Amino acid sequence: MPTSEDKNEKILGLLSSEPQPYLSPNKRVYLDHNATTPPDSSVRENILAWLEQWGNPSSIHWQGRGPKSLMRDSRKKIAQGINCNPLELVFTSGGSEANNLALKGVYLHHQEQSPCLRNHYLFSAVEHPSVKKTLEQLAQRGAQVESIPVNRQGQIDLDFYAKKLTEKTALVSIMYANNETGHIFPIAKMAKMAHKVGALFHCDGVQALGKALVDVRNWQVDLASFSGHKFYALKGCGMLYVRQGLNIPSLISGGGQERYRRAGTENVLAIASLGEVFNKLKDLPGAIARMEELRRHLESQMLQSIPDIEITGKAANSKLGDENILPRLPNTTSAIIRGVDGETLLMNLDISGFSVSTGAACSSGNPEPSPVLLAMGLTRQEAQNSLRVSLGWSTTREQIDHFVEVLTNVVQRLRACSNMLRQNESE
Amino acid sequence: MLSESKTSTTTAKKPRVLVAMSGGVDSAVAAALLVEQGYDVIGVTMQVWDYSSNSCDIQEGNGTCCSSIDVDDARAVADKLNIPFYVINCEAKFQAYVIDDFISSYLEGRTPIPCVNCNTYLKFDHLIQKMQELECDYLATGHYAQVTTSPTGRPAIQTSKDDGKDQTYFLFTLNPKIIPQLLFPIGNMEKSQVRKIAESKGLDVAKKKDSTGLCFIGKEGHAQFISKHVAPELLNPGEVKLYPSGEVLGTHQGIHQFTYGQRKGMGIAHNEPLYVVKLDPRNHVVWLGEEKHLFAQKLVLKNPNWLDEMISGEPLRIKIRYHHRGAQAILKPVGDRWHVYFDEPQRAITPGQAAVVYRSSQLLGGGWIESLEKK
Repeated sequence: MPTSEDKNEKILGLLSSEPQPYLSPNKRVYLDHNATTPPDSSVRENILAWLEQWGNPSSIHWQGRGPKSLMRDSRKKIAQGINCNPLELVFTSGGSEANNLALKGVYLHHQEQSPCLRNHYLFSAVEHPSVKKTLEQLAQRGAQVESIPVNRQGQIDLDFYAKKLTEKTALVSIMYANNETGHIFPIAKMAKMAHKVGALFHCDGVQALGKALVDVRNWQVDLASFSGHKFYALKGCGMLYVRQGLNIPSLISGGGQERYRRAGTENVLAIASLGEVFNKLKDLPGAIARMEELRRHLESQMLQSIPDIEITGKAANSKLGDENILPRLPNTTSAIIRGVDGETLLMNLDISGFSVSTGAACSSGNPEPSPVLLAMGLTRQEAQNSLRVSLGWSTTREQIDHFVEVLTNVVQRLRACSNMLRQNESE
Repeated sequence: MLSESKTSTTTAKKPRVLVAMSGGVDSAVAAALLVEQGYDVIGVTMQVWDYSSNSCDIQEGNGTCCSSIDVDDARAVADKLNIPFYVINCEAKFQAYVIDDFISSYLEGRTPIPCVNCNTYLKFDHLIQKMQELECDYLATGHYAQVTTSPTGRPAIQTSKDDGKDQTYFLFTLNPKIIPQLLFPIGNMEKSQVRKIAESKGLDVAKKKDSTGLCFIGKEGHAQFISKHVAPELLNPGEVKLYPSGEVLGTHQGIHQFTYGQRKGMGIAHNEPLYVVKLDPRNHVVWLGEEKHLFAQKLVLKNPNWLDEMISGEPLRIKIRYHHRGAQAILKPVGDRWHVYFDEPQRAITPGQAAVVYRSSQLLGGGWIESLEKK
C-alpha cells in the first residue's frame, strides 16, 4: 500500500524553502495601532545613545546625572506637550498602572478622611478593563460604583450622568476615546459637571496621544492617564497627570522616586523615548488629517465593496459636531460584517499579511464577544461579527486599497463557506 | 532545498496545512515535519475546557491535553517553527458533544470513550471547517495512524507503525470523504523515533510525558467528576446483587461509579473474587459475578460508520476497547444494527465502548457496543 509518505515526497520536490510572504516583517501591513504602535524612527535612532545612560537616575555620582537629565528633559517636553507643569506628571509602567493609581489613589485618599464623605464612583460602560476591574475591586471593598450607559452610536448618556452626580460622588472616570470603536466623549463638559458637585474627574487618555491634540488644562480634568507604546514610544512606560494640589498616595511603596508618588527605579530608556516622540507634536495636525482622510477612504471602500456591512457608530458624526471635538478618533473603524466570524476573519487576514483585531488585544484568546460592543447594545452575533481596523501615522493609501481588496475576497469566501455548511447540514 | 534563483521561478503554490497541536510531543513533531517537507503550515490548538472554573491544577495539567500550560507549549513550538498559531475556542462544543455525553453514558450504565466524540465533533468536524475557512489543502494531526489507499483503490486508514501507540481505534467515525484531506505525519514512526526528532529539532516538549487518561479528569477520578457536574437527584443509590442468583450483597451510591469487569472498590467480602458483570440502570442494580460470567461471544453494534465495504461472512479483526489486541469475528447486519459473533468468548465486553473493525491493518469502521449476549 502506498503511504502518506509518498504523497509528501511528491510535494517535497516542488517546494521552495522560502518562508511564506506573510511571515516577512517588511511585507506585512499593520492596521492595529490601537493595540500598540511601532517605535518612531527617532526612537530607533537614539536608543543606543540613551542606553549609554545606564546609571541609576537617583545616584549622586556622575553616572546618575546622565539618566537624570534624560528624564528631566523628557518630563519637560511631555508637560509642554499636554499643557501641564512637569511636576504634575508621575511616570508609571504604563496606562494600566496609571489608571490603577488614579482610581485606587483617590479611593485611598477618601478612605483616609474621617468620616469618609465621598464613596461614589462613576464610569462609562465602555471603559478599559484597567478602569472597570479596578472599580469592581473597590466595589468589593465597599465603594459605591455605577456605570453610565453608552448607546449604539457611541454617545454617552449625559442625562443619566447628571442625575447620578451627587455630593457623595468621589470620582468620575471617563476615557477620552474608546479603544475599540474610537468614539470620543465630551470630557471638558463632563469634567465641569463633576466639579460642580465637588467630585474629581479622571480621564483615561491612552487612546488620545498621537490621534488628537491633548491639553489637560483645556480638558479641565484632575487626573489623566497616558501610555508610551500607544504613542510610538517604547513599552514599559506611561504616566499619570495629577493636577497640582491634589495628593494621592503611592500604590508602590519604596524609595522616593517621582516625589514619593511611585517608588522603583525608573524605566529611563522608555521615558526618554516617550519624551522624544513629543518632538513630533508639530507634525501631529498633519498626521491626524492624513489618517482621517485615509479612514474616510477605508470606510467608503468597505461599504462599497462588501455587502451587509455596518460601521459601528458612524451615524454619530453630526451629533457631537458642535462640541468642537472630533466625534471619533481619526484612525479607528469598527465594522460589523454580517455572517462572518471575526476570529476566523482575523486569522485569514493574518495569513494574508494584514494585522487587525476583533477587539482589544488584551482580551485576545478570549472567546467572549467584546464587552464594549455588547455594552453599546450590539447583539452577541453582531459583536462576534465585528472587526477593528486602526490606522497609524505611516499608513498609506496603497495599504488601505490592498487591505480592502483582500478583505472583500476573504469575506466573500467565508460567506460562501458558511452557506455551504448550512446546505450540508440541511441535507 | 532549492537555491535562491530557482525558488523565484517556482510558481507552484505551497500546499497549506492546518495542524492540530495539543501541546504534546506527537503533534509538535507532526508540525515540525510538515514545515521541513515544505508545506505552508498553520498551527491551531482547540481550547476545549475552562481550566479556571474546573479543577485541573498546574501539576495535574502537566502532560494532559486540557491545561492552559499545554496551550503555551503548543504556542512555543509554533513560534520555534515560525508558523502562525491560533487558539480556537471549542468549550461549548466540547461540553455539548463530549462532556454531556460522557456524563449521561455513565448514568445510563455505559462506559464511554469521550476521545472518539472529541475526534468526531471537534477535530474532524470543527477543524475540517476551519481548514476550509483558512483555505488549507490538508488537516494534519499527531495521531498514530496512516493514510493509505485500499486494495480497491479507496482512500483508507491503516494502523500506525507503532502497534503499542496505534490510535486508529479512535478514528472509526471518520467520514470517508475527508480521508484524502488528512495527513498523519508521525503515523509511520515509532514513539521513540518521534521523541528523537523532537530532541534533534530542539523542541521543548521532547521529554514531556505522554498524556494518560482523560484530559478533563484530574486525580479526582470520573465518579467524583460526575457527582460534581450533575444534580444529586440523578445519582440514584441502589442494590448490589450476586449474579445470577440475585442475592443482595449490599448497596451502592450510584451506578456511574462502576464499569464492566471492575473488581476493586466494591467493599463487599466474598469467598470468590467478584467482578461487575452487568449494570442495570433502570433498576439501579449493580450485578457482581465470578470471572467466568464476564465472558460473552456476541455483541450488538449501533450507529455504525463504515470507511470501506465488507464481504458477507468475511472473518475480520474486532477491537472492543482501546487496549484490546483484537479478536476474530464475523459481522451480520440486522436492521440498523450489526451483530458481531466472536470465534472465542471475550472478557468484559462493555456497553458504551466501541467495537472497531479491521481487515488486516486497514481500518474498516465500527460502531458503539449496545449490548452483549452471554453464552
